[in-house]
Amino acid sequence: MVKNFIISGSGGQGILSIGSILANIFMLSGKFVSYCPCYGAEMRGGAVNCEINMSDCELYSLQNSKVDFVVALNQTSFNKFISKVKKNGTIIVNSSMAKIEKTRDDIKYIFAPLTQEALKLGNIKVANSIALGILSKILGNLPLDAVKNAYKKILKDKTELITKNLEAYMLGLNYIQEGII
Amino acid sequence: MSEKELLKGNIAIAASALNSGCECYFGYPITPQTEIGEYLSYEMQKRNLAYVCAESEIAAINMALGAASTGAKVMTSSSSCAVSLMQEAISYACCDELPIVIVNVMRAGPGQGYIYPSQGDYNQSTKGGGNGDYQVIVLSPSSVQECVDLTSRAFYLAQKYRNPVILLADGMLGQMAEPAIIDCNKYEEIDNSSWRLDGAKNRPAREIHSLEPSQLKLNQHILNLKKKYDLIENSEVDYEEYMTDDADIIITAFGTMGRCAKEVVNHYRMQGVKMGLFRPITLYPFPLIRLRELSYRVKTFIDIEMNLGQMLKDVQLAILSNASVAFVGKPVGDWLKKEEMIEAIDNIIKEQYAGIR
Amino acid sequence: MQVYAKPKSIKENSSFTFCSGCDHGLALKLVASVIDELDIQQDTIAVASSGCSVFLYNFLEVDCIESPHGRACAVATGVKRAHKARNNDKIVFTYQGDGDFASIGLGESIHSALRGENITAICINNTNYGMTGGQLGPTTAMGQITTTSPTGRNREYHGFPIKTAEHIALCEGTAFSARVALYDIKNIYNAKNMIKKAFEYQKKGLGFSFVEILSSCPTNWKLSPSDSHKKIKEELTKVYPLKVFKDVLNG
Repeated sequence: MVKNFIISGSGGQGILSIGSILANIFMLSGKFVSYCPCYGAEMRGGAVNCEINMSDCELYSLQNSKVDFVVALNQTSFNKFISKVKKNGTIIVNSSMAKIEKTRDDIKYIFAPLTQEALKLGNIKVANSIALGILSKILGNLPLDAVKNAYKKILKDKTELITKNLEAYMLGLNYIQEGII
Repeated sequence: MSEKELLKGNIAIAASALNSGCECYFGYPITPQTEIGEYLSYEMQKRNLAYVCAESEIAAINMALGAASTGAKVMTSSSSCAVSLMQEAISYACCDELPIVIVNVMRAGPGQGYIYPSQGDYNQSTKGGGNGDYQVIVLSPSSVQECVDLTSRAFYLAQKYRNPVILLADGMLGQMAEPAIIDCNKYEEIDNSSWRLDGAKNRPAREIHSLEPSQLKLNQHILNLKKKYDLIENSEVDYEEYMTDDADIIITAFGTMGRCAKEVVNHYRMQGVKMGLFRPITLYPFPLIRLRELSYRVKTFIDIEMNLGQMLKDVQLAILSNASVAFVGKPVGDWLKKEEMIEAIDNIIKEQYAGIR
Repeated sequence: MQVYAKPKSIKENSSFTFCSGCDHGLALKLVASVIDELDIQQDTIAVASSGCSVFLYNFLEVDCIESPHGRACAVATGVKRAHKARNNDKIVFTYQGDGDFASIGLGESIHSALRGENITAICINNTNYGMTGGQLGPTTAMGQITTTSPTGRNREYHGFPIKTAEHIALCEGTAFSARVALYDIKNIYNAKNMIKKAFEYQKKGLGFSFVEILSSCPTNWKLSPSDSHKKIKEELTKVYPLKVFKDVLNG
């Protein structure tokens, strides 16, 4: 079973970090995984995205015409990637930075004010981790040990930042359940 | 590192180089391979190894030339348009028989092109971008794990044959990450005490040069090189076959495209089409003989490349049977998607095999 | 008493193949003498370049690698650094013409000096491309006639020549930079001392050391050997003064 993801936003929103964390979580849960970031000029202040493939068997394809899940942390990436969502796929949109608008009826939308929620937690940069939490919930809760270890791999010895991100992740994980959306 | 890590292709190449005993790195930044130099700048300084931020790719490859003459394990890395700058020294290194590992993380060309991935340097690498009769060994990884493994092999083959080796990756592979393991280097050390330049102590002075005014000697030297290339062609060919046993149709593809095409093979197999994949791992020496064997029982070859058909010529050369050869490709940018390949192949099959499905 | 002997670092049974009256042979002999005197023959690696200077390895009994045209300082950098990575400190020097060092290879030369690369570069300046038959080079003096400046070097067509030793002296990584000539005994003796100093500075690890040798090219200048030396003494030293331009140990 192959599942694929696009995570998108603007430079500074931690798109590549959270993509890499997601890929690490899959790896640590024993899955096959590939992670393809956009690179080069696009990284400097502009739109940033990465594509992640996860599978139970060896992975061959790296980039797909359509994907199962899109996370869009701003309006530009929402506009750019809405058409990339597969039929019956899901898009998670940061409604703090994108208009709540449904142009397709064959996919599932999840709008959440990620930036505002991150600010409430005291760090605007953890919006990406809230999104990851929501994604994890949809995927049926990613193994928590793998999540914790993935954060440790990427953020290394920045323990405070790891704690804050995990807090944000847990917030995202409980978001749908608590009926906030 | 002895457990699986999520590694970028570029980092995998750099880490594997260190693990393979790389003692000297010389380079100049160019997207999409810059992480190799960045990673090594830290790791090599920590180990007191040779690292120079060269003033140009021309300087970098010439520093590599000098360093290789001492018998050291040497690497430089760059990308397409800047690898073009290195061609003169690569020709020298072949004539001088100096072991240098050159990593080319291909981007779009011709000229400056752009940073998009591409496979447009197949011809330059395998046919020689410099002057004279020479051959560079060319290895083509298709996954991050293969970046690790083939970097080790590149160092080994360079030393074994006293010849430059190009690791031909692409921007896609350089930038993407996959789980990979950096194991201990499994290749033996090659003794180079008979030729390296380390000072004429208790022996006559040695000279390494390509200039040779004597016609006779120059001819002989080039013929000797040819013998070496023949030996390489007989001993070092490597390729991967995927479901070729009973295949009527075989896709040929190398590098990143080689792995993406497996998905296409799976798609057709699910529909009952007998399709397989032939992926050269050594682009020079090209697995011509094996491909020729296959051609006697295969009806159609479909060559897929991220260029306008460079390996295609070698595939056509290999095939002496009546098998037809079709081409699917695109020069640069986003890798051909599965759906795009399938659409193109459907058309080829429709034209040639109306009865097969 | 023997007052003169062939330096040990000159290959036995070798004889120079340069044109008669060319200073290359003398310059190489001086380099060989210095290698003998410093007792570094077994620890020295030479880097030859393209042009008349390439035949170095036919004459010197030291390990030698030939470099592509202009890249000698880069090749030498590689040789030096590779040995250093194995904790071997070898003496590495380049032997280049002015076309090689200061025209096609100026980038590599200047950057090696800027890095303070601990190597020695010897540059034979004969104010033209000798091996190809005397064309205008980076050091051809204003007014000088060559096969590609038939009416003499002029500002409109060719611009100005480079003063190599002066430029190298400006680089922070340079430990020593001097220009010498070989037109009489006094200057030959001085040249040898300067070359020796350059090698000594490398041994001490002080940085890039450079000696530019104003040399004759009778064949292409179309002058006799003695008139060639007269030209150097009376004309060229006015354009290219003989001087130590930088010496980190002496101001």
